[in-house]
Amino acid sequence: MLNYVWIGLVIIGVLTAAGNDIYDSASNRYHNGAEFELKYDTTAGGRIAFSKDYYEKFYGINVESRDTLMFPATLKAKSIQIKLDESAPQLWKTIAKTAGDEKQITAQITGKNGSGLLILLPSTSLVKTKAVLDAVISYSGTAVEIAVGLIGVMAFWLGIMKLGEDSGLIKIIARLMRPVMTRLFPDIPPDHPAIAAMIMNIAANVLGLNNAATPLGLKAMDELDKLNPRKGTATDAMVTFLAINTAGLTIIPATAIAVRAALGSKEPTVILMTSFFGAGLATIAGVVAAKILQRLKVYRFDGTSGPAASKEETN
Amino acid sequence: MEAVSIIAIPLIVAGFVFYAAKKKVPVYESFVSGAKGGFEVAIKIIPYLVAMLVAIGIFRASGAMDILVGLLSPIAHLIRMPPEALPMALLRPLSGSGSLGLMSDIMKKYGPDSFIGVLVSTMYGSSETTFYVIAVYFGAANIYRTRHAVAAGLIADVVGMLGALFICRILFG
Repeated sequence: MLNYVWIGLVIIGVLTAAGNDIYDSASNRYHNGAEFELKYDTTAGGRIAFSKDYYEKFYGINVESRDTLMFPATLKAKSIQIKLDESAPQLWKTIAKTAGDEKQITAQITGKNGSGLLILLPSTSLVKTKAVLDAVISYSGTAVEIAVGLIGVMAFWLGIMKLGEDSGLIKIIARLMRPVMTRLFPDIPPDHPAIAAMIMNIAANVLGLNNAATPLGLKAMDELDKLNPRKGTATDAMVTFLAINTAGLTIIPATAIAVRAALGSKEPTVILMTSFFGAGLATIAGVVAAKILQRLKVYRFDGTSGPAASKEETN
Repeated sequence: MEAVSIIAIPLIVAGFVFYAAKKKVPVYESFVSGAKGGFEVAIKIIPYLVAMLVAIGIFRASGAMDILVGLLSPIAHLIRMPPEALPMALLRPLSGSGSLGLMSDIMKKYGPDSFIGVLVSTMYGSSETTFYVIAVYFGAANIYRTRHAVAAGLIADVVGMLGALFICRILFG
């Protein structure tokens, strides 16, 4: 299924980007080549001003903003640099971003009209296609950054888990949760190192210890794969474990609380109970779904490498 | 409760080291031999993560998300989900940083203690970034045939988002 999801994301993404760009250029969304009139004065090191009404008439759209829009600007011989901030209209932000710098627009000056200035904004096209290109480059980099950032904590927790294996502590941990774990993961021997790693990963998630949870989860996956008779294919235990992890059950949704507090909430922790409820339901649904789906013919695990297996590999 | 999560890791680490020392395990040697695997596991997930993040990045940058929101808004209306919360529900499984940004934007606009503010932060806390978890975890085990993992994960997400909406409607109107 991941195969189709992946194809879908890429193909739909590229086609939508192309479609959006064609529509924008056909409807002349950015009014390329049209002169925009604004006022310039030297207050506070130079600034430009235009009315909301004029902007709306110019682009033929409605915007939410103050009646007069003002931005700092630097006048040059034949051009003007306009500094944009949060309050800038969306269309201008897009024009600036597509031209390379989302914080400023460099516009050509084409003439003067009394106290007003006529300017030509940079010609803008292929906005979404350029955004797709940027996404490809920046997310490839992000993926590597995430992985490299993991090396240290990963090494640390693998070291700690090795101590637990050599001393027998992880067998004791596994024994504590045995009744639950044998039901959730019937295919895994009860004292296998994978069990302890999964218990510790789930505990870390519940306590909101994200830095520990991922390394412990990856260790658990690595251990589960040692029991996998068919490398490259997920086992039932792996999918059940993944379902628990994707539901993200925690008693301390630290990130959401921190953002709420930072934005001046009177009760940042009001979501403790509600998100525990939501994630609790999600966990139950994920585990039940994993257990039911694993029996369906399309998803059934085939431990032997027969004709069915080789056919799937060519997909 | 936040103290628990601060104390937990040092306690676990001390416990593991202490128990190993008591059992006469060569602690330093054993730790280092385990830690050696860290580089390998982290590097192993790169191709999986690149594939996943780039595909999601293309999808989001193209504006396809807006079309999806448009298609699903009648359903959102039917279950009394505020229209502003629908993009949050759709983005949550796809992108952690994206849904974090969206949550902040919505709370900045409507206030963190408004119904919609509580709802989107509950939604954020009610789920994990499913596709990220799938890429990273399966990457660590070199799994590319994921069988029913995506389906189970998405079912968990849908239930989590609906559960968040349900509990917020009951408690906060």
